[in-house]
Amino acid sequence: MATAIRTESLTKYYGPVVALEALDLTVGHGEVYGFLGPNGAGKTTTIRILLDLVRATSGRALVDGLDSRLESVRVRARIGYLPAEMPLYREMSGRAYLDFLGALQRGPIDSAWLRRLLTRFDISDVDLRRRLDDLSHGMKRKFGIVQALMGHPPLLILDEPTSGLDPLMIEAFAETVHELKTEGQTTIFLSSHVLSEVERLCDRVGIIRRGRLVRETSIADLRRDTPRRVRVLFDGPAPTPPARLATALRRRDTHRWDLEWRGPLGDALEALRGLDVADIEIEPFRLEDYVLKIYSDARGARE
Amino acid sequence: MIFLTLVRRSLARHRALVAGLAVLLSGFQFLLVTIAVNLQRDGLYSQLAALMPPFIQEAMGGAFSATFGGTIALGFFHPVVMLSLSCAAIYMASEPAGEVEDGLVDLVVARPVPRHLMVTRSVVVYSSVTAFIVVLMFLANRSALRWLAPAGAEVPAARLWWVALNLLAVVWCFGAAALALGARMRRRAAAAGAVALAAVFLYLLQFAAAAWAPLRPIGRISPFHYYEALRTLLGLGTPSKDIALLLSVTMAFLGAAYASYMHRDL
Repeated sequence: MATAIRTESLTKYYGPVVALEALDLTVGHGEVYGFLGPNGAGKTTTIRILLDLVRATSGRALVDGLDSRLESVRVRARIGYLPAEMPLYREMSGRAYLDFLGALQRGPIDSAWLRRLLTRFDISDVDLRRRLDDLSHGMKRKFGIVQALMGHPPLLILDEPTSGLDPLMIEAFAETVHELKTEGQTTIFLSSHVLSEVERLCDRVGIIRRGRLVRETSIADLRRDTPRRVRVLFDGPAPTPPARLATALRRRDTHRWDLEWRGPLGDALEALRGLDVADIEIEPFRLEDYVLKIYSDARGARE
Repeated sequence: MIFLTLVRRSLARHRALVAGLAVLLSGFQFLLVTIAVNLQRDGLYSQLAALMPPFIQEAMGGAFSATFGGTIALGFFHPVVMLSLSCAAIYMASEPAGEVEDGLVDLVVARPVPRHLMVTRSVVVYSSVTAFIVVLMFLANRSALRWLAPAGAEVPAARLWWVALNLLAVVWCFGAAALALGARMRRRAAAAGAVALAAVFLYLLQFAAAAWAPLRPIGRISPFHYYEALRTLLGLGTPSKDIALLLSVTMAFLGAAYASYMHRDL
């Protein structure tokens, strides 16, 4: 797969503060990549270096093979960006805001696509005429999403895209991402603290902590490799587990086993055949558990 | 296209300031001509010159300030006029710092907008807007003279043009200083405030230096030192050298602004 984003030993210091330390990252074309990390981990700095808003201390960032520093205008012509904190010209109407930002694009804005976005995000003509300062936080956010998407850029960089949106609009956003993913023409680099959203939308995730990439994996691999918590409840006393389950046993009570099972669940169910099982509780895979474990491991290591 | 969009947006953001200042300073020209006509008609100029202490006359450029011609041209060298125009230029030129402070660069510079356009936009806006206001002041002055003053009682238009150009050179110099600072800083109030304060200080320094000989060498650091409006109005020479010097300093500040903005973290 050709790369849409590549960073090579990307390093950024703000005075004595290390924001990024030798970050190596690769995002393929058409991929939806979740960029995760605790506050202050370096996510926004990475994004701002990609956009040439901030200059790296060393290393480089490439977008479609173009150096984001040396060919920044060409790079930025390919990017639609939604910042985490939505800056606004407060005195402008929504329509004037979109017209202004559209005029800063290199190409014309496809009016049919724009109309579709406005409809999808439930932005009416009345909303377009209102001053941005008079709009709710969620409505401002919707304008932010529309301005990032309206140029139909090949790379979307979205920082906390659904912050402040209601569930219906979160759904509209997810629908848009799925649509773009299906088309296969758009790479999406998404930073979010809403891990259920990342799990649902992303193909791969990278977890950054204190400026370093600590994990990078695909959601499919995570689903396959992450142990599933299985609780087996018995009508009578819990029997001695068979050899195939013994290694997965984490806790044994009078009437239940708590297992952490890796691999296909069918094998575990097969091993339970013939036992006096009353019930089985299987916890679904949650990216949140995985990420929180990495965050807490990191905090533990630091302490 | 992108550049014009940026200029239009900046002008729209400053329109209230521009309109207000244009009305005030043009209106002031009419007021001064009205005052001058009345003082002339009542024969009060000779008394006024006698009442004015010599050091004030010296600081204001000589006895000409208490004449009909001096009064009608006062709208171009009154301290409030000079400082308000300078402060308007300073405010407009500090826009890059304001855009960083408000996060608006994240919207604008994240698009395919070359960085240098942001500085060029501010140069064009602050210089053209102040030029526009000065031209309006000039037109207001000439119109008021035509309608209100007795025939023959006026300052030659060419001399007033030189004064207007000299005033613009001073104003542009302060604007460029604000842009040089605004291109480095993250807070607009800090950038604009520092240069505005410097403008007031430099005006006071020049005023003191004109009235007190020991301060004269230091007074040379003030841009106001290179704006001798009354000398120009009296026809004692054109201020081309002063204007050239002020424009050179302006260019140096603008060079610093470009260099800072091209290399900074936004």
